[in-house]
Amino acid sequence: MDTFPATLLALAVLAPILVGLILLAGRDLPRGFASGFAFGGFAVPAVLGPWLLVLWSDPATAPQQFESAGFWGFGFALNGLGAPLLAMTSLVGFAAGVKALTQEVESRNTYLGLILFMLGGTLGVFGTNHLVGFYFFHEFALIPSFILTLFWGGEGRRPAAMQMAIYLTAGAMASLAGILVAIDVAGVPYGEATFVKVADGLQNAPHIPAAVGALVLFGLGTLASLFPFHSWAAPGYSAAPTPVSMLHAGALKKFGLYGIILLGLSSLDIAGGSLGAWFLWFALGNVLLVGLICLAQRDLKQLLSWSSVAHMGPVFLGIWVCGVTGQADGLDAAAFLMVAHGLSCAALFLLANAVRARAGTYRLDELGGLAARTPVLAAFFVAATMASVGLPGFGNFWGEVGVFLALRAQPLWLQAVVASTVVISAVYALRAVAATFFGPATETLEKRWAVAPFGDLGWAERAAAGVLLAASLTIGFVPSLVTKSVNPVAAGVTTYSQHNAKASAKPAPTKAAQPARR
Amino acid sequence: MIPFLANIDLAFKALAPRSGDWQGILPEIAVAGLALFCLLQAMTLPKALRYLIPATARIGLALVVVMSVSSAPWTLEPDVETFGGLLCQDLPIKGVRVVFLLSALLTSLLAGRFLRERDAAVADYHHVLLVVTAAFMLLAQSNHFVTFFLALETAAVGLYVLVGYLRRSAASLEAGVKYLVAGGLSSALLLMGIVLVYGALGAVPGVTDSLNFTQIGRTLAAQATAGAVSPLTLAGVALILGGVAFKLGAFPFHAWIPDVYQGAPTPTTAFLGTASKAAGAFTLLLLVTGPFAALAPKIAPLLAVGAVLTLLAGNLGALATTDVKRTLALSGVSHAGFILATITVALVLPDAKVFGYDVHEVVVVYLLAYVVGTFLAAQALVALPALEDHRRPQLALRGLLRRSPLVGAALGFGIGSLAGIPPTVGFIAKLLVLALLVAAKLWWVLGAALVGVAISIHYYFSILREAVVRPTEDDEELAPLELPLGTRVLVFVLAAASLVGGLYVLG
Repeated sequence: MDTFPATLLALAVLAPILVGLILLAGRDLPRGFASGFAFGGFAVPAVLGPWLLVLWSDPATAPQQFESAGFWGFGFALNGLGAPLLAMTSLVGFAAGVKALTQEVESRNTYLGLILFMLGGTLGVFGTNHLVGFYFFHEFALIPSFILTLFWGGEGRRPAAMQMAIYLTAGAMASLAGILVAIDVAGVPYGEATFVKVADGLQNAPHIPAAVGALVLFGLGTLASLFPFHSWAAPGYSAAPTPVSMLHAGALKKFGLYGIILLGLSSLDIAGGSLGAWFLWFALGNVLLVGLICLAQRDLKQLLSWSSVAHMGPVFLGIWVCGVTGQADGLDAAAFLMVAHGLSCAALFLLANAVRARAGTYRLDELGGLAARTPVLAAFFVAATMASVGLPGFGNFWGEVGVFLALRAQPLWLQAVVASTVVISAVYALRAVAATFFGPATETLEKRWAVAPFGDLGWAERAAAGVLLAASLTIGFVPSLVTKSVNPVAAGVTTYSQHNAKASAKPAPTKAAQPARR
Repeated sequence: MIPFLANIDLAFKALAPRSGDWQGILPEIAVAGLALFCLLQAMTLPKALRYLIPATARIGLALVVVMSVSSAPWTLEPDVETFGGLLCQDLPIKGVRVVFLLSALLTSLLAGRFLRERDAAVADYHHVLLVVTAAFMLLAQSNHFVTFFLALETAAVGLYVLVGYLRRSAASLEAGVKYLVAGGLSSALLLMGIVLVYGALGAVPGVTDSLNFTQIGRTLAAQATAGAVSPLTLAGVALILGGVAFKLGAFPFHAWIPDVYQGAPTPTTAFLGTASKAAGAFTLLLLVTGPFAALAPKIAPLLAVGAVLTLLAGNLGALATTDVKRTLALSGVSHAGFILATITVALVLPDAKVFGYDVHEVVVVYLLAYVVGTFLAAQALVALPALEDHRRPQLALRGLLRRSPLVGAALGFGIGSLAGIPPTVGFIAKLLVLALLVAAKLWWVLGAALVGVAISIHYYFSILREAVVRPTEDDEELAPLELPLGTRVLVFVLAAASLVGGLYVLG
């Protein structure tokens, strides 16, 4: 069997981690060398991630070709949901890396090394099929983000980093308990606890405690900023340095959702019973309440942070509706939105920082009329905002429309509430664009211009934002790039979840559903 | 002949060691011999050659570590009794010995420079340290309450000395006195318990030696099946467990820990936190799975409640501290809670296995991870110049990463491992314990452990925060720290161990 894809996958995950290790060890490496080296660490996955997605969607390669054993008891492997997320993460990581390389920071090598760790850990989460590996890489990516925020963050970094660390650790502990209990109930030895084996084991388990689903949903939901466990997210993203915000809001958050889908939705019946009702209300909280909070924001980065929390609402709803109706379309759309949101959200954080670098502030009332001075930045920002609110042509469109369509059989009030959020998100996003770029230049901006005239978007930022927007446009026009690999997984997960939801009614299943790997 | 003497004769014959028995404790003999050799060196060597004393102790300890992990006559089968039933290697003996020896070795490495800077005798410290280590190693093999108590007291007396070692420091002396009082109380409890068990079971027909663990276990098993365990025995067992809980630092017997740990010289604190805690853990495990195994249905709930309360008391207590040594002392209490939880699993589900490790081995892995984390943090503390060893506010750590990246890294890896952050060995150890708790379905204990970990992030990160964040303008004059080459190598090795150890355990 050709193991070339497995080599690529291992390389994509290990390259950033190894480069990060070298940069951490070599704090005094010369600047040029360190920059080149770090660039390699960001670029290698950025090339390999999309390549792996293409390889995965190619019917000529078998899923087993992506598997390789690690020496630590869990190996690398890919699945249809992980493949597009891995590709998305690699691009977000590249853009974040380019941004980080252009920044002037203290202890630059350590900074770059820790960001590479975050990237490698996130890629590892999507690049393993083992539950312990999933948890391991998830923490591996989270810890550097706390340190990065604490040391290199902006205003309010100390309380924000602490809050983030405590919330996310508490969430991680809850999810760890859920994962361990799920593995135990499934009767799978820890060494072999892959997603598929645990799901199979849970299919045949006589009784799954309802608390397991709650632990997984709320534990990982904290990371994915599920209402009301979201309050760490906006201050955290705002205080974090820009590359960290990009990776955190764009990519890290998604592995909470990834775990909720592959473990919670498929086997733990999170959309059923009273837990399902809570899930729905919480998801609506994300959509509506956080949407209203966004409306009240007067600070560009705060607004982006909150809106990235609000945008998780449709994703949660897609997951929920899939569990309720047993139709895969909700999950298809949610997964698509996960990929698309990662790209658009990272682009917005990147561009907002470019605004701040020029205008010297994030405050919307001090911003205004930037478009006349920096037309390219304005164009990029408008494009990214359009992507974020789900304009056709960008990836987010398919995701959001898909979720709304999947909700068509739900009560009218629910559809109305969800539809209203499209309006809300358009209002706050467009208002922010208008306040930042259009209208007359504010006094603050004029003063700033007089003291330090600023140029338009530099080539590095153009490249970084360009990659993200191009990727969003690509999946917007060629959605099959994502759907080809996601849909079979969604169908498989749905089969599992339906089996589990009915398990109590039909105690003796004739044949366990076969896992759909592609 | 007088019957009394005949009895002594019989006892002597039974207890008379066979030649093979001595081989079983060769590592302990070696450590004790090393202790004497240190004293001998101190008496004979000229002043200029005194530096050889810690060196011999370290080399000797390293050799005994190698000796202990090899499969040789000193590694006996678990149920082989030696010295007429006085000793028996029921616990995973290789791991047990390595935990104690490593703690002693790392303490010695920590103490050398520390003591010289404070003008305290290095040779005597090593002598006492080695005696305590040998006693601990023997304690974990005891199969009879006489050896048990003797080994425990030998170690305790040595530790009183080590805690109060800095004679010019009022804090050290105060800690020594406090430890003496607390330790005396625990010994009294223990002895009272032993006497009660001895008396209650001594009259039972068929029992020739009611201090022997095997006989106690057999008798209690028979009594428990018949439902005829006397209240006197139960009271004795409770007192014994209380005495051991003192050593482990489990709630409610943990009150002495913050004061004593803070006041003791930092190397002793590290030794107390690792070897002494390990001794408490091993003896508790030994007792509840050995002689008192038949009482498991009664002891298990007690331990479970103890574990929950210890986890909460340790973590909540540590939350309210600002002195690093005190924080680490109370965090040590929470680690004792983790160990207590593991021991509970040993009673509830004796055959549990996670990742191929049984409960006893998980205790060893947890303690080894704890040793690595504690000594990394202690290295960082000792490297910082402090006017008073017992005052180490978090603020003193400010800018540590800048002053010495290596010391900062030592603190980072140490705290990271203690907090259980992947991929450190501390994380893997916690994972093993949590998996055991799931397997044994001890939900309340699991919940307390998880809540504890979440709380602990706050105080562990508070320590790191000071070390990591930028120094303020006033702190700019903070000088870089210079470390000797040996310490640098040691920190590097320990940090590597904390990283690779976990993957090695899982793999």
